[in-house]
Amino acid sequence: MSMAIGIVGAGGFGRALALAAARNGRQVVLWSRQPREFKAQQIRITTAVGDLADTELIFMAVPSPHVESVARELGRFLDGSHLIVHVSRGLVGPDLFTLSELLRRVTPVRRVGGLAGPLVAAGLADGQPGGGIVGTLFPEVSNAVREAIGGPRLRIYGTDDVVGVELASAFVGMVGVALGYAKAAGYGPATLAVLATRAMAEAVRLGERRGAQERTFAGLAGMGDLIAAVSEDGRPELALGRALFEGANVTEAATKTGAYVEGVAIAKQVVEYAERHGIETPIATAMTQLIRGGVDPTTIVTRLMARPARRE
Amino acid sequence: MRLPRLRTYVPKPTDPKIFWINSERTDMVQEVVRRIMERYEADESAELIVNDAAYHELRRLEPRTDDGARRGLDYWRGVIRRVGRMSSEGKHETLREITLRMALDVAGNFDPRVYRFAARVVPSLLTGVMKPSKLVQTVLSRGANLDDLVRAEGPIEKIRRLQEKGTLVLVPTHSSNLDSLAIAWVLYREGLAPAVYGAGKNLFTNPIISFFMHNLGAYRVDRRIKAQIYKDVLKTYSSILIERGYHSLFFPGGTRSRSGAVERHLKLGLAGTGVEAFARNQARGIQRPVYFVPATINYALVLEAETLIDDHLKESGRARYIIEDDEFSRLERWIAFFNRLQNLETACVIRFAEPIDPFCNPVDDEGHSLTPDGRRIDPASYVTWRGSRAVDHARDAAYTRDLGHAIAERYVSETVIMPTQLVAHVIFRRLVRATPGLDLFSRLRYRGEIAIPMDELLPELGETRDALVALEQRGQVHVNAPLRKATPDRFFERALAAWDGYHQRPVARRTGGALIMEDPNLILFYQNRVRDFAVEIAGANPADRIAARDILAMGGAR
Repeated sequence: MSMAIGIVGAGGFGRALALAAARNGRQVVLWSRQPREFKAQQIRITTAVGDLADTELIFMAVPSPHVESVARELGRFLDGSHLIVHVSRGLVGPDLFTLSELLRRVTPVRRVGGLAGPLVAAGLADGQPGGGIVGTLFPEVSNAVREAIGGPRLRIYGTDDVVGVELASAFVGMVGVALGYAKAAGYGPATLAVLATRAMAEAVRLGERRGAQERTFAGLAGMGDLIAAVSEDGRPELALGRALFEGANVTEAATKTGAYVEGVAIAKQVVEYAERHGIETPIATAMTQLIRGGVDPTTIVTRLMARPARRE
Repeated sequence: MRLPRLRTYVPKPTDPKIFWINSERTDMVQEVVRRIMERYEADESAELIVNDAAYHELRRLEPRTDDGARRGLDYWRGVIRRVGRMSSEGKHETLREITLRMALDVAGNFDPRVYRFAARVVPSLLTGVMKPSKLVQTVLSRGANLDDLVRAEGPIEKIRRLQEKGTLVLVPTHSSNLDSLAIAWVLYREGLAPAVYGAGKNLFTNPIISFFMHNLGAYRVDRRIKAQIYKDVLKTYSSILIERGYHSLFFPGGTRSRSGAVERHLKLGLAGTGVEAFARNQARGIQRPVYFVPATINYALVLEAETLIDDHLKESGRARYIIEDDEFSRLERWIAFFNRLQNLETACVIRFAEPIDPFCNPVDDEGHSLTPDGRRIDPASYVTWRGSRAVDHARDAAYTRDLGHAIAERYVSETVIMPTQLVAHVIFRRLVRATPGLDLFSRLRYRGEIAIPMDELLPELGETRDALVALEQRGQVHVNAPLRKATPDRFFERALAAWDGYHQRPVARRTGGALIMEDPNLILFYQNRVRDFAVEIAGANPADRIAARDILAMGGAR
């Protein structure tokens, strides 16, 4: 009998993962901070993180600011035989630590990975055809994810470029906010395409600095995810961007969106990191100005467009 | 070369494990052959690996004209001609023959007599060379004076305990051919067990050094042999040594750091076999732990600095992987080097880091692996999958990569900054400040053109040192004790004097009230050890901060 799947976080994405695993015939233990109801057989809700000790693969689906404290608590019940895969778009601190690095640091688990790509909660829950990518050094981790949620309608790819997957995913989260904003401002497809592509070029520059491989950014975790974002797959980042354009400040916009959006924090972290390492990130810089507010979109666009264009 | 022996030495129970290496040697070589035959059991894979060996050996030997090479060429040409037509048994027999020959060439020897001789005489000789005036006295006092010149720091007492509980894998930084001598001496002096060591075959070209290496448990690693089967033999032999409890020493950087910087990307290579050895033992129910001990070897002067940095600055494709004609092989350079060391309070600091298990967990004094919340954890869980313990090459390769990162991180935080490195850094920062926007190679052309007024330099040295000490208090680096305490003019004088007496090219010189930078390459070499901390120690001056960012960026990806 295969072991139960553990899921940490009963937000939209956590619940969707639980449904996907249950659909594959797996038992699921879903940890939630607050007691909740979940009407599905095979899915057991718990508020005791120690209940996850009996699982093999654990998905970490809480927003990145909470990952450290939850993982520390969870880590007290785990050992080297467990696997943890996170689904967050977040990065930690001014050195752009990825969450898999954080998980290795605060838990005894070493077989970790990050799940990324054009996966959104609704599509995952409904079982729409789609795909994702697991960044991990350990083949058994991507295999376990495939066994847990993969199947005829969900293709799970694997790569050992962990940092590439996590950085690409974080960047797409940030660009999602910019795209929502630009769309609301009435810019057309050509503008969105330039914005998305050039933002990815910034991600590659940063990624190479952190030892990532360029081609990862052209795959599911980067461009694949970005195409889904541009085509409005209902992700919260775009809604937040729209709310920002409509004049809401970040807190209001986040409340309105109803989800924690990593992209806001990432812009600031990226700019700090890039300044320290002498990397050009004009779009991330523009993002921070936009989030801070007080600059109108025309000024931001003019500034971006005024930069000298060189070889791509 | 080995010494003749009338009676076989029977190791005593109190002897370190390495004393057993001769009695286990044949058995270990056989085990290497057995495992390799098992790996290439299929006909096609046996043929493929034999062909690969023949191809690489022919390429390696063809340019040579000596007799040995000619015999080798005949042999390998014969193999290539025959292997396609061979029966299955024939292919496997050829593979066995090649493997056995390579394993015998690799396997080390240990002669207790040579060990005792070396332990008694080498330190005296080393001290003698370093302080010729005290030769007689030091030979009489058995070389205790080396203690001041070569310092050992870190949790040595704990490492001493752990060597009784499991197998140590020592993984120091590598910046000079003196490293293996310095660390061997420190292990002996601190009561740590001698370790087997995979030594580059180029170290065996000097007959005296070769004699000691060969009889002190070193095994031969010939980096010129590119055949896959040779790499398999090395890894298998190394894994067997660790499985059997032989403490091992590896330089995971592979070669000496050409740039002078602490190695950042470690592939671990042979050191990675520590992970496999642990998994193999666990799969057979043997509970012996493996402990990795990272260490940094920090020199005030690097014997081969000039050759190394010149090689580093060549076009990357043309850099030499193996250097045979450097300062290490020239006697007069040795003498100049040791003469200089006399004037330094500390010439070399070997700093051991806290030991970790193969899965990057810290271990307690009793040798138990610890989780981040301080629980004891069974390291076997890391090689357990769905209830069974097994060797899994892909998984162990992943653990090895993680381990490489963890060791490289400790290299940074366990670095001990020496006066020469700090002084070089401050001078180099001035060069970068004075040449905004230029690339490294254009900057290095500023030979003798950068003058720094002494009344600006000394305060800057003091401030930078203080920033470095603050960094030390946060646990991010270490500062050599004399540098921590001395006044800026004093440690500046020492650094300058050290360079002056040793390097053939002047590094920097004083005229009037200013310091002129003479050799940017050597300045770069010494400052590279401080490079990773450039931004943190830059102080408030905006120009310095910009320069520091430039310097950090020279290090490339982290």
